Amino acid sequence: MLYVVLFFTFFSLFLYVLLGGADFGAGIVELFSSRENRKMNRDTVYKVMGPVWEANHIWLIILIVILWIAFPAYFNVIIIYLHIPLTLVLLGITMRGVAFIFRHYDAIVDGSQIWYNRMFAISSLITPIFLGMSFGALVSGEIVVTNDYTNTGFWELFMHPWLNGFTFLTGLFYAALCAFLASTLLIGETQGEIRKIYSRKSGIFTVVLVIIGGAVLLYGYWYDMTFVKEFLQNEYSLIAIALSGVLLLPLWRAIKKQHSVMTKIYAGLQILLVIFAAINTHYPNLIITKDTELNMLQDTAPESVIYVLGISLIIGGGIILPGLFHLMKSFNMIRIPSRAADTEE
Amino acid sequence: MENLDYARLQMAFTLGFHIIFACIGMVMPFFMVVSHRKWLNTRNPIYLKLTKAWQRGVAIFFVTGAVSGTALSFELGMLWPEFMKHAGPVIGMPFSLEGAAFFVEAIALGFYLYGWKKLPETFHWITGIIVGISGVISGILVVSANAWMNSPTGFDVVNGEYVNIDPVQAFLNDAWFTQALHMTLAAFAATGFAVAGIHAFQILRNKKPELHKAAFKIAIFFGAIAALLQPLSGDLSAKDVAERQPVKLAAMEAHYETKKGAPLYIGGIVDAENKEVNYKLEIPKALSFLAFGDFDAEVKGLNDFPEEDLPPVPVVHYAFQTMVGIGSLLMLAALLFFISLKKKSLLENRKFWWLFALLSPLGFIAVEAGWVVTEVGRQPWVVYNIMRTKDAVTPMPGLQYSFYLYVAVYLTLAVMVTWLMHRQIKVLNRSIG
Repeated sequence: MLYVVLFFTFFSLFLYVLLGGADFGAGIVELFSSRENRKMNRDTVYKVMGPVWEANHIWLIILIVILWIAFPAYFNVIIIYLHIPLTLVLLGITMRGVAFIFRHYDAIVDGSQIWYNRMFAISSLITPIFLGMSFGALVSGEIVVTNDYTNTGFWELFMHPWLNGFTFLTGLFYAALCAFLASTLLIGETQGEIRKIYSRKSGIFTVVLVIIGGAVLLYGYWYDMTFVKEFLQNEYSLIAIALSGVLLLPLWRAIKKQHSVMTKIYAGLQILLVIFAAINTHYPNLIITKDTELNMLQDTAPESVIYVLGISLIIGGGIILPGLFHLMKSFNMIRIPSRAADTEE
Repeated sequence: MENLDYARLQMAFTLGFHIIFACIGMVMPFFMVVSHRKWLNTRNPIYLKLTKAWQRGVAIFFVTGAVSGTALSFELGMLWPEFMKHAGPVIGMPFSLEGAAFFVEAIALGFYLYGWKKLPETFHWITGIIVGISGVISGILVVSANAWMNSPTGFDVVNGEYVNIDPVQAFLNDAWFTQALHMTLAAFAATGFAVAGIHAFQILRNKKPELHKAAFKIAIFFGAIAALLQPLSGDLSAKDVAERQPVKLAAMEAHYETKKGAPLYIGGIVDAENKEVNYKLEIPKALSFLAFGDFDAEVKGLNDFPEEDLPPVPVVHYAFQTMVGIGSLLMLAALLFFISLKKKSLLENRKFWWLFALLSPLGFIAVEAGWVVTEVGRQPWVVYNIMRTKDAVTPMPGLQYSFYLYVAVYLTLAVMVTWLMHRQIKVLNRSIG
């Protein structure tokens, strides 16, 4: 059963990085758009993601709940030492959700829309940065786990682990990944001029992503960080990263052929490979602190808890996944005829 | 103030908001689907307009409820890491099921909001019902986790570790049914009266009276039935608390001296130092009867509990009085509404509409008060008789800044949502037809 729980843990992580990421990315793309393009971008994003956007973010709740139930000792470290960046993530999520709903459900469309849009775009950029920083902090080897809170400084315990050069780069990396995802997926959903805009953006964000990814590795190599060194020595991780680079080619071809399903599959695969590369390097010791490594499989919840959780997840997944699939499918099916109608005009 | 106080304030503050968002988000879908059904049956455009207006309300409250709920799922751990470390696995079951129910709600809401003219009519309507039902299930599950904190079962404590965990037993703890019933009815009563009151006010302003009367009727129907049932559920809860948490019951009633045939106090000022209640109205033997169904039963007083296990008595007592007072008021108003169904002349009386307009916020005040009773009444424990709140709090200093941040964000949020609702109503009144 532990493996069922582990599967759902990484599965929700993957879906959150992918779907939530694409969602954040849409806002980032909007932030980096010229004024004329912004409205077009908004409408496209709303059309494509509207029905599922809220569902995308529930994966984060599922992930958190699994962590606290099944891996309480592990979750304890994350939640105590990453209190501040996670608070900032929450702030971002709150602002973003509220801005999204306000700009689409305000009964009166007037000047206040500008504020909603600004709030949406900025929080879309900030949230993934802090998420990326939190992950970076877990593997950066800077966390100090202690019981003695009086002799260790606030900065050293609660700030420095997540606020350093490495985590800053991992934060940017995730934001760039989100922007890459959104702009790439949106190409398949648009036509003509707009398509060109997204193609160009997708190209730019791909380059940005590769550069930041390289910078993360270089920084880690330079400062002799355990995680990065092992990453570079782990052949599976390297193969996964290389493969996700190679996948760019079929991805671009699928986009060119307007093959919307294949585009999504390739993009999903790439994310899967990136996550695999990152997790595989040090699994199951996914927290690297200053003097030790914490194994997530140690001190898990007792067997009875894991068992019930596994059953709940299987039942829950059995209800949710088909429903979610059906939701996406129905609105896809609705969109295709309407798009055909658009081109006929 | 210490770190612990700020952590408690922040938790109280965020939960205080979430409880409102969540109640509305879980009850309004029912108003929406009733109106939707009426539209499908009668094809009266008023109901379509109303359904769409309420649908926007549902969407807004769903999202604000969802983001404040996400924040809470983090905050539980961020503020109370020791609590989550030990209790997390025990109460994981209702939380994981709640996650699933919430997900179903989000999916159904996606179908509902975007399904107009795209989905078959009946299927579309059913997705609306699923939104409502899964919302109520989510609420019940979360309350069951809270009930466990009042009535912890399903584990043994050995050397500070929680072992022999039985998640199902923890989930179905002694308090879950009475608490879930009381909270669900409260959500329906509070939301019903709040929404009905807003529409009553619009009727007074003579803006689209036909539409607002239709809206009032749907909302108050749910609210009134819940308000009539609530005293019964309250009685169940009181008897349950008397048995499981006698100290909480004593604090609710500010009952200091252990007595047989204990009187019930109505109103009164608590003098916590001299351990007495002044200026109260006394009903002889009523407390013994309400708590144990026997006029001569012994009710243990606060003086017989150790000092360090006592909650802050005045807060709990005043909150309890507020809740019961408002509950009784709403019950009377509910009766008045059912009388108005027979005696139509009441509906022509402006005082009738004024009454419901003024009652609008009271249900939620009662919800907040009731929640203060259950949470503050459990102090100084976070898990009753097992873990003290001060042992659960995060070691990170400087929580006051986090508290200020949350206050600023949530107040802004509240102002914005109110403003948004105001604009919804403005547009609804301005629309043609």
